[in-house]
Amino acid sequence: MLEFNKITKKFNSDLFTQSFVALEDVSFKVEPGKIVGFLGANGAGKTTSLKIAMDFIRPTSGTVTFDKNLGTRNIDIFNNIGFLPERPFFYPHLKGREFCHFMGKLSDLTKNEINEKISFWAPRFKIDFALDREINTYSKGMLQRVGFLVTLIHSPKFIILDEPLSGLDPIGRKELKDIIVEVNKLGKTVFFSSHIVSDVEEVCDNVIFLKDGKLYYEGSVDKIIEDNIRPIANICFRKNGIFEIIKISNELKNQKIKELLNNNCEIVSVNSDKPTLEEIIYNVK
Amino acid sequence: MLNRKVFTKIGTVAYYTSREIIKSKVLVNTVLIGIGLLIVTYIAMSFTYGEPSRVALDFGLGMLTISSVSIAVFMGVSLLSDEMKNRTVYIIISRPVPRFAFVFGKIIGLALILLINILILSTITLSLYFYIGGNFEPLINWTILYITLESLIMLVLVCLFSLITSKVLSVILSIVIYIIGHSIDGVKLLTLVQTNPTLESILDIYHYILPGFYKLNLKQHLLYKQDIAFEYLLSTSIYGIGYCLALVFLTAWIFEKKNLD
Repeated sequence: MLEFNKITKKFNSDLFTQSFVALEDVSFKVEPGKIVGFLGANGAGKTTSLKIAMDFIRPTSGTVTFDKNLGTRNIDIFNNIGFLPERPFFYPHLKGREFCHFMGKLSDLTKNEINEKISFWAPRFKIDFALDREINTYSKGMLQRVGFLVTLIHSPKFIILDEPLSGLDPIGRKELKDIIVEVNKLGKTVFFSSHIVSDVEEVCDNVIFLKDGKLYYEGSVDKIIEDNIRPIANICFRKNGIFEIIKISNELKNQKIKELLNNNCEIVSVNSDKPTLEEIIYNVK
Repeated sequence: MLNRKVFTKIGTVAYYTSREIIKSKVLVNTVLIGIGLLIVTYIAMSFTYGEPSRVALDFGLGMLTISSVSIAVFMGVSLLSDEMKNRTVYIIISRPVPRFAFVFGKIIGLALILLINILILSTITLSLYFYIGGNFEPLINWTILYITLESLIMLVLVCLFSLITSKVLSVILSIVIYIIGHSIDGVKLLTLVQTNPTLESILDIYHYILPGFYKLNLKQHLLYKQDIAFEYLLSTSIYGIGYCLALVFLTAWIFEKKNLD
């Protein structure tokens, strides 16, 4: 759906200071039909990458290509993309509904089509009650919801979200994650950046991980977890009605299980010690 | 490049830009200026013998110029720069909207507000002028047209500056150019300039680059009932419109090339 090919981006603050390299030789692909998480610490280059993808800023070198399904001309490509920027800020004196109509009209929708989309999405985002209020009365979460609504209003094939879950309470995050999964089931590709690793692990098929402007990992979430499984087993057993868990190296696992059985313990479960995606990311030096 | 869809998008951006500005209650200022204009004119007339209608016209056109240029400068400076600062521009140009269409739409949106402001204040001014006994003169229409052109040029000029420098500097630069643009013809008559060919050449170069606002100032001609040739009015109108359009295209070109980070 989207391919970065050797993208480098340098920023020059002035003539006398050395340029700052925000992205260095970054190449990755966002596969169609998947939910792809874009991870990295603050300043890793996620937002810069998304700005380059959306042609807000131009790379110093390298190319960005989109799937031909999205179109060949920029105007067609952007008609098939829904983009939500980080910390969206909309026209404060417009009402939510007016803003939806504004965005819908820019995507060549008719008034009826826009109203249909609002009726469909607004209740799901739980923002329908506020659409006739001015945007300056909205909370941060409501802004995020109305932003998400206008991102989907023109039924884009490819959805790019920059930190869509930041600023939301846990219930709001859960609701938006459910919607991300739902739109993906409708055949849409979702590419979203986040620094909340557990959210990415929960909903994403693939993950792209940037560190200090360089690509650190690109691939499936399952694979990165499998690759980082520690050679340790967690044995859960019950003795005299009390549950206990012990960690033991894989080589000693069978011997330990025999010992436990000989001591009249009941083995409840034996699992390999899988790290979470969050643990893997935090351990990257 | 310019098809029906693009024109529709320019219209959509312009419509919602003006709607947002109207809702922000900017035009309340225009109404307040209008009320102030009525009061000031009434007071000034009490101290005038002979030509009270001329005083009303002078005050009215002066107020019209100040308010239009102020709206153009102080709202124009935020027109594009705030879109970038607040990142609203991202959500718009991530749609199938060419960047130049966004710039055209934003400028047209604010220009509509300027026109409403000019319409309200010139209606008040002319109503007062005719009520006091003033006679219609065709130069009144030309004067109002030129005030409109002048404020439109200022609007686009400050938008252009706001893309390449800070908001404060953009306002300062625009006001400096406005003042120079009005006084340059007087400066050229100074002996100091006329005896210094280098200085004269610099001022001539200025004429080719920066706006000659003095050409658009017809107030003195109107108040002292001086005749102006139609050819002058026509050529100055073409100059004003052409200059404004050139600035719009230059602004759109800079925005097209600009990194929106």
